[in-house]
Amino acid sequence: MRTRVAALWFACCVSLSGIASPALAQRTHVLIIEGLSGEPSYKHAFDSAATMLRTGAKARWNVPDSSVIVLSEDSIATSPMRGRSTKEGVAAAFTTLSRRVQPGDVLLVVLIGHGSGEGAGSKVNLPGPDPTAADYAAWISGFSRETVVFVNTASGSGDFLSVLSGTGRVIVTSTKSAMERNESVFAQYFAAGLTSDAADADKDGRVSVLEAFRFATREVARAYESTKRMQTEHAQLSDSLLARAVAFGGAASSTDPRVVALVAERQALEAEVAALRVRKASMDVAAYEKELERLVIAIAEKTQAIKAAGSGK
Amino acid sequence: MKRLALWGVVALSSMSTLAMRWQDPRTEVRHLIDAGKYADAERVARAGGDPLRVLLGDALVLRGKLVEAETEYARAIAGRAADRLGADVAIGELAERRGDHASARQHALAVVAGYRALSKPSGADHLAAGRAHMLLMNGSTADANGALAAFDAATAVDSTNLDAQRRTGDLFLARHGNEDARSSYNAVLRRAPDDARALLGLARVEDYEGKGSALATVRRSLAADPNLADALSFAARLHLESERYDSARVYAARALASDSSSVDAWSLLGATAWMTGDSAVFKRARAAATVLQPKPAQFYTELAEASIRQRRYANVNELAKQAVALDSTATHALVVLGTNQLRLGQMTEGKASLDRVFALDPYDARTKNMLDLLDQMRTYRTIDRGRFRIVAPPEEAELLSLYIVPLLERAFDTLAVRYSFKPTTPVRLEFFRRSADFSVRTLGAVGLGALGVSFGNLLAMDAPSARERGSFNWGSTAWHELTHAFTLGASDFRVPRWLSEGMSVYEERRAQPGWGASETVSFVAALGSNVLRPMSGLSDGFLRPRFPEETQFSYYQASLFCDMAVQLKGEKVLSAMLVAYRDGFDTPQVFQRTLGLTSAQVDAQFDQWMRAKFAIPLRTVVSSDTTKKRVGEFQTTMQRAMSQLEGGKKDSARVSLERALAMFPEYAGTDGAAWFLALMQRDRADTAAAIRSVSIVTTRNEVAWDANLLEANLREKTGDVAGAMLALQRLLWISPYDPQIHVRLAQLATSRKDFALAVQERRAIIALHPSDELDARVELAKALAAGGDMATARRELLQVLEQAPSFEKAQALLLELRARATPGASPDAP
Repeated sequence: MRTRVAALWFACCVSLSGIASPALAQRTHVLIIEGLSGEPSYKHAFDSAATMLRTGAKARWNVPDSSVIVLSEDSIATSPMRGRSTKEGVAAAFTTLSRRVQPGDVLLVVLIGHGSGEGAGSKVNLPGPDPTAADYAAWISGFSRETVVFVNTASGSGDFLSVLSGTGRVIVTSTKSAMERNESVFAQYFAAGLTSDAADADKDGRVSVLEAFRFATREVARAYESTKRMQTEHAQLSDSLLARAVAFGGAASSTDPRVVALVAERQALEAEVAALRVRKASMDVAAYEKELERLVIAIAEKTQAIKAAGSGK
Repeated sequence: MKRLALWGVVALSSMSTLAMRWQDPRTEVRHLIDAGKYADAERVARAGGDPLRVLLGDALVLRGKLVEAETEYARAIAGRAADRLGADVAIGELAERRGDHASARQHALAVVAGYRALSKPSGADHLAAGRAHMLLMNGSTADANGALAAFDAATAVDSTNLDAQRRTGDLFLARHGNEDARSSYNAVLRRAPDDARALLGLARVEDYEGKGSALATVRRSLAADPNLADALSFAARLHLESERYDSARVYAARALASDSSSVDAWSLLGATAWMTGDSAVFKRARAAATVLQPKPAQFYTELAEASIRQRRYANVNELAKQAVALDSTATHALVVLGTNQLRLGQMTEGKASLDRVFALDPYDARTKNMLDLLDQMRTYRTIDRGRFRIVAPPEEAELLSLYIVPLLERAFDTLAVRYSFKPTTPVRLEFFRRSADFSVRTLGAVGLGALGVSFGNLLAMDAPSARERGSFNWGSTAWHELTHAFTLGASDFRVPRWLSEGMSVYEERRAQPGWGASETVSFVAALGSNVLRPMSGLSDGFLRPRFPEETQFSYYQASLFCDMAVQLKGEKVLSAMLVAYRDGFDTPQVFQRTLGLTSAQVDAQFDQWMRAKFAIPLRTVVSSDTTKKRVGEFQTTMQRAMSQLEGGKKDSARVSLERALAMFPEYAGTDGAAWFLALMQRDRADTAAAIRSVSIVTTRNEVAWDANLLEANLREKTGDVAGAMLALQRLLWISPYDPQIHVRLAQLATSRKDFALAVQERRAIIALHPSDELDARVELAKALAAGGDMATARRELLQVLEQAPSFEKAQALLLELRARATPGASPDAP
């Protein structure tokens, strides 16, 4: 029984590696929508999360300015990449991005604000009429050849998950239902997770949506625990397999054939570590450790060699 | 004038009613009973013939003539007396007193059935039904509700029926409804301010709530009815708890003189004899109780409870088991047994006992609470290290163990030398994240204000997360509780509570500067106002505080007594006292043998010693002019300083604060002069002065978070890394949950090449479940390697890389370690 489970797990790893490959070469586009804040403390929190994401996208993921759109309650449309987060503004942003994307790209949409409504009528409060979950579903339906990561960090966002879920999409909501309507702190932790090393659980230099989600849910729980409050938000995620595969960050790939070869050799060694871990339960402890050490030292040496060859990666 | 005339009318009217009532012999008997004139009541009732037969039985019961009483009740039933239900339930109650539950139940069921068959029950019928339901309510909520409904009906029929209201109070108290019980007794007392039974009920409520007024209230009850055996027994119990064995004996004897059939009184007399080792009286009491109750479970339960109160936990199981063996349905004995087994760390056995209670009475709140907690504790993690077994919630077991085990190991060695005694190991220490859980662990109910408890070699306490940061020091608390394990053990569990607490606080102060209670403004004020109890009465300061701060004062006072004793007779005197208690001497004898002083001399000398010790603050904290000013010059100077600070007059404020500091140099509260001076000096960039001022706080106040943080910052700024580290370490005993403190301490420790401390801090960071755990583990590996523990560092790194083979930071360190282990190899070599 144990062998069967282990084999299945290994199959998953292989399969995930397959999904992950295109992501390494992905182009990322980001749409950040800040809703009405209502009071300065929320405004500060919303701006802070949006800024973290925008600067992270540019500095850590190397997303060009032309692929980052930020809409907020009070922005003046000084450039096509900034604007007011009205329903029309949101629709226009999706249209802009739909012209820019190519098949295989990743579109990250993040909603920050106060939520209301339920089911397909769930909303995030924006200046003017509020688009519903059904409206967002219609807008992202135009991105069927891209991977869409749609994150609604607003309070009462839970019903967005069922309305927006679909193939090639990862939907994240900060609450498990529309009924969790108290102020949500998920946005700041999810933004921090996506844009810092702390969430990078496998330390591969890239943060997957799943890693950021796990980081954020852990930190949200800790925030409530440390202030001795009952937790009133429970985030959810639609597709953990795809969420594991879609990752952001990492240095640009080298075209130097020597580096390409070294990276491939290192990837092979990493796959050997994964395979060794699968065999761990059936191996003698000392033999396992010896083999593990051999492999990780070999990986470390490859990393050194890659760096020596002039690539950051 | 008009009012006076009106009063005259009312008074005449009352007298007239009284005269009318006294024409009714029933009323006369009841009045005589209420006044404690039982012999007169018996005489009048006998003269009344058949109509008064039930009342005659009641009077006979109060005089302890149980057989005669039962005969009278039986005659009343046979003669179809109006109150025959009352007679029948009284027979049931007599059976219950004998421990004959089956017969009691049979009578109670008959009464309930008879009551239900009545079309128009009288007030007396309602009352009898309520009493019958009370006999049946063990394990039955329906009967508890039935009793309440019947008593309410009795009151509705006759609002002057005080007996029904009193019994309502008894009912609530039996179900832990102290607030409702108090309301019921107060309702009676509004009608009859001297009602002895209601006053007794009120005293029981106060005792249940841990209030110091219980003894005074029961004295009021006895003033109204000096012969009320239940009140006399209750007074005996209060004295027994206070370790005033002579008084307990006197009250128990008085109760028996009034009612020689009181199993309660015989049990208390027996328990007092047990505590004082008086085997002759003990045997006599046991024999008497056995005559009254052929299977005297109650007697042994009382002994077991008295043993718990005197912390003789080792004796309790045997006594409670004897009670249970005599009466397998004795739920109270089972609760005592189960609770004590848990206190001794016999978790499986304790749970089994409580499960038995739950099966018998699923509505016993304490049992339910404890069983729920035991279920929750199944998720707790147990860590065995050295001589200690730490049991804590899984989230923090590792973190707390990292610090507490080395501390307690040091405490164990220190105390073992000091008291020439070693408790059985492992010593079990349980941590609770909620004070309510700790309270249930200790008492079975919430509401215990304590931070920790020691049952010998089982200690339990709040985890530091259970309370607001800065409200207690978990290191000193653990040291305090472990000290109890030594003082209890060295005295064979005979040391009185006040001294055991005093020694624990005294040892806290010796363990680390700043730990343990210290002088406060309110303590000095209490001393100056002669509010503090003398040493000879200090037990009551713990058991029955008269005002909220008295318990804390008593801890400190008891610890000061230890200071004085050591000053007088040297280090060994405390140990000698414990040995004297172990050998069976009472407190006056212990004082005489170890200090060469009588109790009165100890009281006088200690008072004198305290006044000398606090001479400076006494002059300024307590007003010399008691007629006008309520506070002394120190307080007014501090108030002035605060006003000046608020008004921005910093120079004037500084002068005021310096004056206040001179008036009470030892005061280390964060509302004191030293703390404010430190802040002002910091703001003026006078770092050296700020360090001097803040040190006054940090070396005397064990919970001063901000002050220690300030000291750490200031010392680090001046390059005093060692001093900064000490301040940071003090912070960890206030709260170990701030990862930044651990990171900072680890970095400082590394800079001073204190790699053992650095490793500990890195482990603590991991135990806090950081966001980036792998990074934290690499930092641990670095610290381990720096300290020379290459093997553990390598293993740590391998585990990290097993999870994250791409982690470059870990890779680099692994290569570095490999290079160090292989001379000539370069970490940079591909």
